[in-house]
Amino acid sequence: MNRILEHPVLETKKEARQVAFTFDGAKMTGLDGEMISSALFAAGVTRFSIHRKDGAPQGIFCANGQCSQCTVIVDGHAQKSCVTPLRDGMDIRTLDRLPALPADDTPLRNYEKKVVNCDVLVVGGGPSGLTAAIELAKLGLRIVLADDKDRLGGKLVLQTHKFFGSEEDCYAGTRGYEIAKILEKELRSYKNVTIYPETSVVGIYKDRKAGLFVGNARYLIVSFEGLIVSAGAREKSIVFPGNDLPGVYGAGAFQTLVNRDLVRAAKKVLIVGSGNVGLIAAYHALQAGIQVAGIVEIAGQISGYKVHADKIKRMGVPIYLNTTVLSAAGNGTVERVTVAEVDKQWNPLLETARTYAVDTLLIAAGLTPADEFYDMAERFEFKVVKAGDADEIAEASSAMFGGRIAGLKMAKLLGEDVVIDDTWLKKAEVLKSRPGEVFPLDGVELTDKFKPIFTCIEEIPCNPCTTVCPKNAIKLKDKIGTIMDVPYLAGECIGCGICVAACPGLAITLARKVDAKSAEVMLPHEYIASFKVGDKVSLTDIDGNPLEAAEVVKIQPNKKYRTTLVTVRTTLKNAVVAAGIRVQEEKETKPLAEPVLDHIPDNGIVCRCERVTLGEVVKFIKEHKVRDINQLKQIRVGMGACGSKTCSVQFPRVFRAAGVDFSTVAEGSIRPLSVETPMSALINETEGE
Amino acid sequence: MKTYDILVIGGGSVGVPVALYLAQKGKKVAVIEKHASVGRGQNRAAIGGIRATHSDPAKIKICQMSLDIVRKMEHEQGLHIDWHQGGYLFPVYDTERERALKNLLEVQHKFGLNIDWIDAEAIQRLCPGINPRGLRGGTYSPEDGFASPLKTAGAFYKLACDAGVDFYFYETVLSFEKKESKIVSIKTDKNTFSAGLVINAAGADGRKIGQLVGADLPVYPDSHEGGITEPVQRFFEPMVVDIRPDGHSDNYYFYQADGGQVIFCITPNPKFYGKDIDNTSEFLPLCVRRMLELYPRLRNIRVRRTWRGLYPMTPDGFPIVGYTKETDNMLHLAGMCGQGYMLGPGLGKIVAETICDGNKDYKFIFDQLSPYRSFTGTEMLK
Repeated sequence: MNRILEHPVLETKKEARQVAFTFDGAKMTGLDGEMISSALFAAGVTRFSIHRKDGAPQGIFCANGQCSQCTVIVDGHAQKSCVTPLRDGMDIRTLDRLPALPADDTPLRNYEKKVVNCDVLVVGGGPSGLTAAIELAKLGLRIVLADDKDRLGGKLVLQTHKFFGSEEDCYAGTRGYEIAKILEKELRSYKNVTIYPETSVVGIYKDRKAGLFVGNARYLIVSFEGLIVSAGAREKSIVFPGNDLPGVYGAGAFQTLVNRDLVRAAKKVLIVGSGNVGLIAAYHALQAGIQVAGIVEIAGQISGYKVHADKIKRMGVPIYLNTTVLSAAGNGTVERVTVAEVDKQWNPLLETARTYAVDTLLIAAGLTPADEFYDMAERFEFKVVKAGDADEIAEASSAMFGGRIAGLKMAKLLGEDVVIDDTWLKKAEVLKSRPGEVFPLDGVELTDKFKPIFTCIEEIPCNPCTTVCPKNAIKLKDKIGTIMDVPYLAGECIGCGICVAACPGLAITLARKVDAKSAEVMLPHEYIASFKVGDKVSLTDIDGNPLEAAEVVKIQPNKKYRTTLVTVRTTLKNAVVAAGIRVQEEKETKPLAEPVLDHIPDNGIVCRCERVTLGEVVKFIKEHKVRDINQLKQIRVGMGACGSKTCSVQFPRVFRAAGVDFSTVAEGSIRPLSVETPMSALINETEGE
Repeated sequence: MKTYDILVIGGGSVGVPVALYLAQKGKKVAVIEKHASVGRGQNRAAIGGIRATHSDPAKIKICQMSLDIVRKMEHEQGLHIDWHQGGYLFPVYDTERERALKNLLEVQHKFGLNIDWIDAEAIQRLCPGINPRGLRGGTYSPEDGFASPLKTAGAFYKLACDAGVDFYFYETVLSFEKKESKIVSIKTDKNTFSAGLVINAAGADGRKIGQLVGADLPVYPDSHEGGITEPVQRFFEPMVVDIRPDGHSDNYYFYQADGGQVIFCITPNPKFYGKDIDNTSEFLPLCVRRMLELYPRLRNIRVRRTWRGLYPMTPDGFPIVGYTKETDNMLHLAGMCGQGYMLGPGLGKIVAETICDGNKDYKFIFDQLSPYRSFTGTEMLK
């Protein structure tokens, strides 16, 4: 069973009830109410369906209810396994090409059109939707909030790391899934809020109504005055040969499986993309006991926060810049991934190809806003505000704060007498800032009393160290004058280690001189300690370079921050540069002796739903002089279950490959429904006379 | 000035085929289309049914030719347009409609159409699980069928390009310059054209184009919503048309496409007049409820997408085919009443043969569908 039974941060699901089900006739067990996709993954199943076009195996891709690739047959009905809860006795089968419609010929008896009214409909209960709804609820407005997951919080639920930002504005220092609970509790305290979990908004209609597919069973029409689109973002897919193999999926999907459902989804992963999502996915993998062969990044620099990159380098994960994925290959599932360096035009240099034996390739190539309802509502001239990633891709800390502003903006549109504090708008800008300047490490002179050493040397919007210090001894250097500034010690350190435990970037250590030759360093550690006092651990510097085997002298778990403070004895020289304890052995990151080139560039899949390759699309564009995305529907691109949500981000690249300037190409049209909805649900059919 | 033998206004279900057949007969043809590509007017919203089983000679002839053309495309020319000869079925649950359809059969038989009354059991074989309660039988025409309007438009476009037709996309006709009784130049927002003949194939904009030469064609669009489901294994064959009105809607119809999806559409009552093509919340609950009453097995199929398209209607429900009196050189192919997709291919061929070959066989079509008819009749069955 691929279950995570022990985790340094998350509570494992010891109390969950086991249920029995069958998959293609084989007996399996899973946890009651978990998503079927997770139960299958835990049982070692990675192939969910067989594509009708060419019989290709299909695995999970988004784990987010968007792409439909994880569809299976549940008790005779085709269902997306990532949004269908497991129940005792289910008969689950591989979807083999086209499903047969069950021959249920009972006459239609009871049906009902359900309509509710509200002031504001909030689409998406992630960080921004929750805070927007809270602001509106405070004003007494009637709110309906719909979220497609069973737990509110959106991506917060998957985020086991401590948050950046500031404590007062966005719960910095607290872990994402805990913030989700705090916000949900607050929202639920308002009587004028109705929350629909497991509910997809499937359409926004011209008559100022929305269609909600409630609990995967009913259809509710919501009439609203204002609309907040806080639907988050979707993971971008990228095109390379083998990109459709089971085992190639989004880093967000991985976090869903690993952090939300505690499934050990892989043995060893390779990650594409060095944004915060890719970096954190590597960290989460290691925390879940999954090896990480490395991260490849096509650009010449890391695109996420330096503190994130540093911490995974310290754990023993290499990051390869100017490197791209050439292909993923294997017999029905990923067995190997080949990467190569690129030239300045991002063309791969095949002579640099290396192949890694991994079972999973995570795509963290960026996010694209889920903002189509906003565009539609604007066209219909509705009162509409977008928030969070649907507005602009940024950290969840920024989304939480931006959501509050979005809520107030909506209140104003509805004629409420509210004032949006000018300082809020400035803070919102700061919170969504990209990383700024990187400074050299400050020189530190050790004394016999502990003092902090900051490896937080890149400007990012974050300041919990300054607010948790009981002595108020940590300040930000006043260079920009916002929480973007980097910290320094401006007072007396009492050696309590709270800043070490609280720092989201794990970028603070405490060090003191013990005698003429040795020192002690207190390090944050977010792994289950595989060592005890007296053992030696492999100490690394900020960049992951090995320093020495240092003896552990003290292990203190910090309950509040769920971080272990490990104190080690080191040389004086290393004490000032020691930044972390390596957790992954170097051999895990070695490529195969010889590269395997399965590289046929045109074979990458552009449209996953309908399995249309890059080569096919480019040929069609050239032969049919395509200048309108809608023309691609002739070869079924964009016609699948996902409604072109996945392939549309590829179009600029695809048209470029066909020699067409994408700016001259007409957009594809987007129509309801955004999620497939059964006919019986659309009329709320119920059984009985 | 760009000079052509024939200028076709509108690159849709009607304009593209007519351009193709004219070009194949040696004419230098251009198509002006206001959208980015072909078929983006109402072809994109067409359901896909093609039947010859009408009740008047003109439409029967035109659609017989259309059926012949699409069958050849699929089977002889290797152009995959998802043609499926599933037939059209009109199931009947009351005596009133049984009588009406049986009367219509007599007319249809006179025209030699392959359509007959079949009993309830035969209907169950074609549509297993269709509501048997009160099912009296129905008419069935096995040679009719359906294809993908999108792929058909794409195929005609490819053929037209290969035949030398020039397409001008994102271009809107603004005015005509007349000298004596002839259009001598056509101004668009980008170019000026001259052509020996101008064809008005502007679909829902047919009236607007007519007005530019002073012709007032009675073409008034109203809108219908349609939808498509996920694909499933084939479980029924024909286009099913339920002609019973229910107070909120008139007929509705659906079929299972070649790819396995069920495609459906409803005629609202009262009608939605105008050109708004945005979806409303009314359509799905109404149309789905009616479909499940007739065919409960559909309850588990998942609806994937919906849309709305325009029926450029005329007062009598018949298309307008004929030369305008206001000038010597404008031919209207307008007001297809929601049947442009099934009429377009045959009409294109008929027009090309009439213009280029001097073929007189189709005079009855021009007479019956003249822009100057009284528009007072109604079709026996729409």
